[in-house]
Amino acid sequence: MTGPPRPRVLLPAGVFAAGAGLQVALWARPERGEPAPVLAATLAVLSIPVLFGCLVGWRVPDGQVGAALAWVGAAPAAVFAVEMWGETDLTPRPWPGAHILYGVKLGAWVWNLAGFAALCLVFPSGLPPGRRWRAVAWTAALTGVAVHAVVSWTILARQGGRPNPFEAPLTLAAFGGLLAALGAVVLGPVLRYRRGDEVTRLRLRWLMLGAGAVPVLLACGWAAQTWWDATPEVAYTGFLLAMLVAVPAAVAVAVLRHDLFDVDRLLGSSVAWLLTSVISAAIFACVGYAVGGPVGAGGRLGMSGASFVTALVLLPLHRQVNGWVGRVVDRERHVVDARLHRFVHAVRDGTAQPETVEAVLRDVLADPGLRLLVRLPHGAPGEYADPSGAPAVLPPDRVSVPLRTGEVEMGAIVLGTVSARRLRLAGHAAVQARLPIEVTRLRLELRAGRARMLAASAEERRQLERDLHDGAQQQIVAAGMRLRSLQRRFPGGSPEHRDLDAVVEALEATIAELRRLAHGIRPARLDDGLAAALHALVAAGPVPVRLSVPPDVRVGEVVATTAYFVVSEVYANALKHASAGTVTIDVADTAGVLRIVVSDDGVGGARGGLTSVRDRVTSVGGEMSVSSPPGGGTLVEVRIPHAHRRGR
Amino acid sequence: MRIVVADDSVLFREGLVRLLTEAGHDVVAAVGDSDALEAAVGEHRPDLAVIDIRMPPTMTDDGARAARRLRPAVPVVLLSQHIETRHSVSLVTSGGFGYLLKDRVLRVDDFLDALHRVADGGSALDPQVVGALLAPAQRRDALSALTEREHDVLALVAEGHSNAGVAARLHLAERTVETHMRGIFQKLGITDTGDRHRRVLAVLAYVSR
Repeated sequence: MTGPPRPRVLLPAGVFAAGAGLQVALWARPERGEPAPVLAATLAVLSIPVLFGCLVGWRVPDGQVGAALAWVGAAPAAVFAVEMWGETDLTPRPWPGAHILYGVKLGAWVWNLAGFAALCLVFPSGLPPGRRWRAVAWTAALTGVAVHAVVSWTILARQGGRPNPFEAPLTLAAFGGLLAALGAVVLGPVLRYRRGDEVTRLRLRWLMLGAGAVPVLLACGWAAQTWWDATPEVAYTGFLLAMLVAVPAAVAVAVLRHDLFDVDRLLGSSVAWLLTSVISAAIFACVGYAVGGPVGAGGRLGMSGASFVTALVLLPLHRQVNGWVGRVVDRERHVVDARLHRFVHAVRDGTAQPETVEAVLRDVLADPGLRLLVRLPHGAPGEYADPSGAPAVLPPDRVSVPLRTGEVEMGAIVLGTVSARRLRLAGHAAVQARLPIEVTRLRLELRAGRARMLAASAEERRQLERDLHDGAQQQIVAAGMRLRSLQRRFPGGSPEHRDLDAVVEALEATIAELRRLAHGIRPARLDDGLAAALHALVAAGPVPVRLSVPPDVRVGEVVATTAYFVVSEVYANALKHASAGTVTIDVADTAGVLRIVVSDDGVGGARGGLTSVRDRVTSVGGEMSVSSPPGGGTLVEVRIPHAHRRGR
Repeated sequence: MRIVVADDSVLFREGLVRLLTEAGHDVVAAVGDSDALEAAVGEHRPDLAVIDIRMPPTMTDDGARAARRLRPAVPVVLLSQHIETRHSVSLVTSGGFGYLLKDRVLRVDDFLDALHRVADGGSALDPQVVGALLAPAQRRDALSALTEREHDVLALVAEGHSNAGVAARLHLAERTVETHMRGIFQKLGITDTGDRHRRVLAVLAYVSR
């Protein structure tokens, strides 16, 4: 990016140096004109845009913004030099060529505008907006020459006592042309703003901020001169400073560091304060006039009344004006507001899922790398989750906007692209989208809590089943073995032998019952996987079953148990009520959703009986649909999402 | 017979040792987990190992995995708490293996008979497992063509019994059982080799496919 300044910056810099040198040399003549401080101040002020121009030209060598900016100071410096040189013609000792330059200087002021016109043409990209704009530039230059020529000629002709016969039409044509050309030039930034991308708009807003001061201070100067009889030097100092310092500074910042400050807020506040001041002044004047007039006392009463009323309305007025201005100037924030508002409404109306808030924020803030992380109340410090519930950590190298409700940390918006403006917009969006974010967080918490509960209950079932098998059942078998051992002491066929047979048989029945019970709590077959358990389940049934289940289906304990019970309940239902000839069971696992379809060719018309199945499915976040037309068989479809689900 | 018993439940283990000892067997080692089991088998070279399927450390199927490592050098009878066909059938088809529910030990004679069959290189499959294999829902094929008596005979063969054993249990003459077997094999399309073990394999392969 860096490199030696290009000649296009060197030219205006050289012109400025030459002009400044000439002015100093001319001032040093015996019959000096202006006092030294005025000359020094003028040159100092003019050097500012030149320095900014050099800075921009050095940092951004491609493009002509630097040169145009330098011309803002260089052109007046050259013009002033020419004027001073020409004016020596009126002194006893004119400089060489002063007579001709006197004529030239008369219309030279027009070139004071050259720098600004160039700036309008090339800012902010460094190139004219399009090919046709070269023609506009040339037209502007030509009309400048024309105005220069016409003005010089007209004044010279008048001073010579031979008025130019074509004065009126020529003046009209030249100035009309110049105004049209300048109008066209000013149109450039307007068009750019309308068509430009975000950065272009930001940069143009900086220019607006700088240039906005120009007419305001001009009006102030005019007012000061009219009402308070200020001298032109004093009255227009602000205007000149705005032209030669504020605008170049704004342009330099726009090109070099458009993200330096939040320009929208700067611009918005400036404009809002300006409008507030103007309206307050108007109110002050109106009230002063209205109260002071009828009372006739003039002066004091009107003044105090006006001050009172103005003070009264100042703050609410400013707030109101700030709102209006924000809507116009800080358009992005307004758009963000409106879109988030719509989204929040859609969530409230049930037409949008609160979990999509991350996508909406990405879209609204034009930041595809944005991430929304929420804190779950039971999470460890520094532990977050994304809106789908997957655990996440706050990336340490990225900037994030914290989300808080009171003292509670709700989460954070992690930005993909960072700037002062984006940070502010994101903070603002976080406030606007607080509700859907909070709902997302709470729903996640609900889901996580339910998953924790189910996992705990599944673990309990597993433990209980194990206790039954490995504890009670084993002990009964062991007791039975002792009885068998005891039985050996009695001869076969003796009453004791027969009694013991009966006791052991009773124990066997108890074991069978225990096995049945344990199976109801948690089918031990699930140890071998859902597929094996389902195969075993239908193996003992009285009607043919077409079972299709991927042998490698991998789901957690909770989902597997649920799926097993769904199939066994629905299957039992089909056997019991539907008089089914065949049952088809289809299990598929696609994209993290376990889909179970159980259908039969029975009598249909099933209504109740499946409530417990539905409850069970719902409890793990699944859904179930039943289609059972009378005489048309029964089809039960269950979908259980199991991605992200923790537990075994 | 010299037998190694492996079961993590002390109560059950002691009961089983007593039962086997009273039946005249020599329990050379009684251990509580699969590592100790393998060590004991390596040391004693028993005629048979009776192993609980669920043992420490994982309490899932350590016994079954140990059984796979021990065989075919040592005949193994796996004891389980519940009916399942995954471990059992695949192991049973290779002989010298039995799979029985734990409460089967209360039918002492049947249990000892099964141990003998396995120690002799035969097989023993719990009747409840066979029942699951031969369950009606599975049998949409030639099995449904079997008569009730043929079905009973087939189930006993699948449990690992010889023709004589089947005959004794069904109170039939051995020749009648042979006739039934021929009928069964004909209906199922299996070649009867006469060899008891291979016959069980053929039947199990048929019913578990």
